[in-house]
Amino acid sequence: MEEIVFGIGITALAGALATVAGAAEDTESDIGSQGDPNSQVQLAPQMGYIHRIFNKAVAGEPPAYGLWVALGAGLAWAFMAMQINPILAIVLGSALAVFVQGVYATTAYLGRTASLAKFGQPVYIDILKSMTTVTMAHAFVAIFTTVAMCHLMISALGHPFPLPLLGLVWGIALGAAGSATGNPFYGKERQYQEQKFGAGVPISASGNIVRYAEAGQRNSLDNGFFSAKLGGPASGICFGLIVFFELWRTVVFEELNIWGPIIVGVVVILIFAIIDRYIEVWARKNFGPYTTPEEASS
Amino acid sequence: MSVKVEVGAGGIPHNQVLIYGLVGSLVLIYLTYLNTYFQTQYFAFFGGLAAVAALIWGTDTIKHLCSYGLGTGVPSAGMIALGSGVIAALFGATTGVLAPIVTVIIAAIIGAVAGLMANAVVRMDIPVMVISLIELAIVGAMTVLGLAAMACGTFEFLGMITGTVSILGFTIQTYETSVIGGSIIAVIFMLGAIAIQHSFNACLGPGEQQDRTLTLAAECGFLSMITVAIISFAFIGMYAALVALVVSIIGWFYTYRKYIALSKRDAYAWLDAQPIMEPKGGA
Repeated sequence: MEEIVFGIGITALAGALATVAGAAEDTESDIGSQGDPNSQVQLAPQMGYIHRIFNKAVAGEPPAYGLWVALGAGLAWAFMAMQINPILAIVLGSALAVFVQGVYATTAYLGRTASLAKFGQPVYIDILKSMTTVTMAHAFVAIFTTVAMCHLMISALGHPFPLPLLGLVWGIALGAAGSATGNPFYGKERQYQEQKFGAGVPISASGNIVRYAEAGQRNSLDNGFFSAKLGGPASGICFGLIVFFELWRTVVFEELNIWGPIIVGVVVILIFAIIDRYIEVWARKNFGPYTTPEEASS
Repeated sequence: MSVKVEVGAGGIPHNQVLIYGLVGSLVLIYLTYLNTYFQTQYFAFFGGLAAVAALIWGTDTIKHLCSYGLGTGVPSAGMIALGSGVIAALFGATTGVLAPIVTVIIAAIIGAVAGLMANAVVRMDIPVMVISLIELAIVGAMTVLGLAAMACGTFEFLGMITGTVSILGFTIQTYETSVIGGSIIAVIFMLGAIAIQHSFNACLGPGEQQDRTLTLAAECGFLSMITVAIISFAFIGMYAALVALVVSIIGWFYTYRKYIALSKRDAYAWLDAQPIMEPKGGA
């Protein structure tokens, strides 16, 4: 019994770390217009809409975060193998992984923008200087919390995987959670405030993203502020719940039966599918201009 | 049947890049064998340089493959390259001194099977698919083998599954603290997979230039080398790892500066804190 209580405590702590990680991850990727919103930011200059939005496309979020977190975990593992204190090792590993992330972000922005020279999109190096550092700060929070969570799973819950492999798995999960949950807030709605809610992006509106802010010209820091308010917390809850339910079902039900966690996992997925469907139908009925489900945007 | 889109015409022909990449990475990876020959670890960094050579070649291959309208498929090409490559590299590593050559052959077979599946079963019908996936699998395999050799000082399997740990002053050999046992191979997999696709993914567009893209490929390779050099402190001697770290930092700094200079050359304008310049005639 005492073991289960300890396990649930660790589960809650891991869930809390995951929530912070999800929120930071989504804010980071939205500031860089990575993932879902990227195609329109990339397309805008080609349609004549020159913009001042950061465009760092380093693969999709799941592979990119797979690398950042696996790298942070791998470096932390190596530092721990050199007999360095785990907390210091995780901080150092995450900091070095963030350095790699920052370098990738700068090269992605420079490369994409330089290749758009034909359409008159200049390279704004003030964007590079001010926004790379902000994405790096958010990425550090996301990587550090995820690696710390993985370390907790191994040292406190006795997970059999080595730290870098667990980092890879949870890094991909983190990127997927942020990409699926948080990005539509920014990519579908914030970039397209001039369109009706839920209208999707018709071809005639392609690339016509919002380029001017409340005062002056919009840059990605405005998007960071927006993401921190809506998309980030949503991604945080998503990733936090994934981690919490994943560990909770194992910690609590493994003692009863070896099949227990698997059955509970299926039941949890079914419950969430029903909740999601209900919310989707309710939102379509109340807000969207469309009533038939075929009109889902992509 | 996909339509071929021309990207960045001109530059070095692909076959030339292929030969430089294949021969260069094979020679460089064999230079790490000097470690076994001289009973030292100072030559580990040649493995990383082999990965850089392979990545430059792989970037050019991805550029050719993805000119068939595979915009969002660029990162996937990197994943399949390293996915095929890691199997070939681990199998090849078990064959001792022949490892790099066996790795190339096995990777070519895996790549050919993947390519035939993509064209005949999934029916993507891209003319260069089979040859490109063969090339990418070899590139992935050489990247994994090179970076793994850099981390532990040898491309032989026994070296990758044996690590040392010191308890109470005694040094004992364990599987848990090795490159494969500690899953450092997973980190190398991701480092390679992102590095191989990033250069073309970052530089794609109508203004893509081969020299800029390939410089970025080298930069990604050296950046991956820096992190592997830091990880290698856990496996090889301090001075050997330090040599690897210094080589990687010098290489990275040089290519990064060159890449920024090339971006400045190709950019429409290079502005600091300027407002949006609306194009003539309006949007």
